[in-house]
Amino acid sequence: MKKRIAAAILLLLILGATLVLRMSRYDYAFQDREAIMAPSTAQHWTGTDELGRDRTVRVAAALLIGLTGAAAAAITTMIAACFGLLAAFSPRWVAAILMFLSDAFLSLPWLFLLMLARSLLPLTASPLETAVTTFLILAALGWPACARAIYRGASVLRSAEWMIQGHACGLKTRQLIRLHILPHLRSLLLPQFLICVPAFIVAEANLGALGLGVGEPMPSWGAMLLELENSALLAQSHWVYLPIALLVAVLLILESFTTEVETNA
Amino acid sequence: MSLLITIAKRAGRTLLLILFAAGGTILLVRFAPGFFSDSREMDAKYAQAALAEIQAENNQQQSVGWIAIQEVKGWLSGGFGVSRQYHVPVAQLIGARVRVSAFLLAQGIFRGWLLAICAALPISALRKGAVLWRLPFTLLLSIPTAAMATACILADAGGPVLVLSLLIAAREFNFLRNLLEGAWRSPHLLQGRAQGMSPRALVTLHILPNVVPQLCALTTLSIVTALGALVPIEVIFTVPGVGQLAWSAVMNRDLPVLVAVSLLMACVVGFAGMLSTRTVTLEAV
Repeated sequence: MKKRIAAAILLLLILGATLVLRMSRYDYAFQDREAIMAPSTAQHWTGTDELGRDRTVRVAAALLIGLTGAAAAAITTMIAACFGLLAAFSPRWVAAILMFLSDAFLSLPWLFLLMLARSLLPLTASPLETAVTTFLILAALGWPACARAIYRGASVLRSAEWMIQGHACGLKTRQLIRLHILPHLRSLLLPQFLICVPAFIVAEANLGALGLGVGEPMPSWGAMLLELENSALLAQSHWVYLPIALLVAVLLILESFTTEVETNA
Repeated sequence: MSLLITIAKRAGRTLLLILFAAGGTILLVRFAPGFFSDSREMDAKYAQAALAEIQAENNQQQSVGWIAIQEVKGWLSGGFGVSRQYHVPVAQLIGARVRVSAFLLAQGIFRGWLLAICAALPISALRKGAVLWRLPFTLLLSIPTAAMATACILADAGGPVLVLSLLIAAREFNFLRNLLEGAWRSPHLLQGRAQGMSPRALVTLHILPNVVPQLCALTTLSIVTALGALVPIEVIFTVPGVGQLAWSAVMNRDLPVLVAVSLLMACVVGFAGMLSTRTVTLEAV
């Protein structure tokens, strides 16, 4: 029930954001020089930023861009599943190498690793490229902990009696993985995916706040958090807090999915 | 003897992981665009011959092997090389900042754990309404570190230690609550309650001693979490610590500093992990 309400709210937010982007006469990058740091008006419902950009449109775009984290989470879960399964069904030395590799990634704090990888990319990249790169880096670096969990789960399943029966019936390992192991691992893969989504959104926001997230003028949660450092803007309008409020709401909804899945598991 | 072998194996693995982290950082920075750009090349006062010499010097330093050898030489001499950004020995730069970050980490982790334990102990014993009490921690979990730090600055209340403590408390609360809920439901505790033991006695005599090994293992996770959060916290609060140095090195592609900070972080995480695994194993024995 709780999950359905959360899903409905999330869907409504996505629909609302899409509608705002479709219906608004402003683009997220459009600068209204006549309305710099404007308060709430009929033209700009939630005011504008220090460059005269419409806040409603930017928040809506940031919401949709932030949810790209779900695509990154899907990629990272796939990478983790491949790594975990490869390690579980390979000779021991291959498993040892693969798990050492995942440990190597885990030996550095995630945000530091992200920051390191993100900052060493071209400085001249376009905003779209920085957005894609940021989420690809999140996907490329988020798999190790997840891979370890899948490796453990798959290792247990490998020695199950029905697996031996399957082998005895002449099924190949690839077929066994596709037909039997993956459906069994679904209860492990889904929570991993759901944990990754809010984690990636938070990571993007933190990276953005450090100036290493999605590039301007493309809106992102991180870049919008930076607005809070502008005291003139804060004195002008309370709508400056809208992005952070919406971000927390989205993350709370995503966290509720995780909690529910964990409880069911 | 077997214990010594296990410790040696773990130490060897940790060392290998640290070297891997350093090697990875060197590779990453070496192939970063603009790594070999030299500000002197844009300075008009340098003659063509001088510029050619600078370029030749930079070209010589392009191989990964050369960089690795220079780094190892720096480590052996204890200097970790010279920062490209500040033109001072890296050891000197890091030495002054390690104390600041270590103090911040220690305070943040200690207070965070204290808060998490104080909240998880009574909440885990509740039969009804626990969801409501868990809400503040779920809310804290949903606020990015950078936003929390900015909120503190805006409210002119709290500081880096508070943000780190809240982050650690939010992260560890759920683990602790699950752990303690299991402990509260164990049969010997039910027996103790039935016999009229006070909750205080139950906690101090039965619950806490039983969960100590798991708590030690969780502390490692706290260290990793705190190290990750160190960068945004130190940058936003302008704390002159290792996190801020790492951020500045990343922004300026300062390889010697980056490798040294990566090594330091990998060492802390590696040894903390080694220690927690040993603690859990020894407790199990």
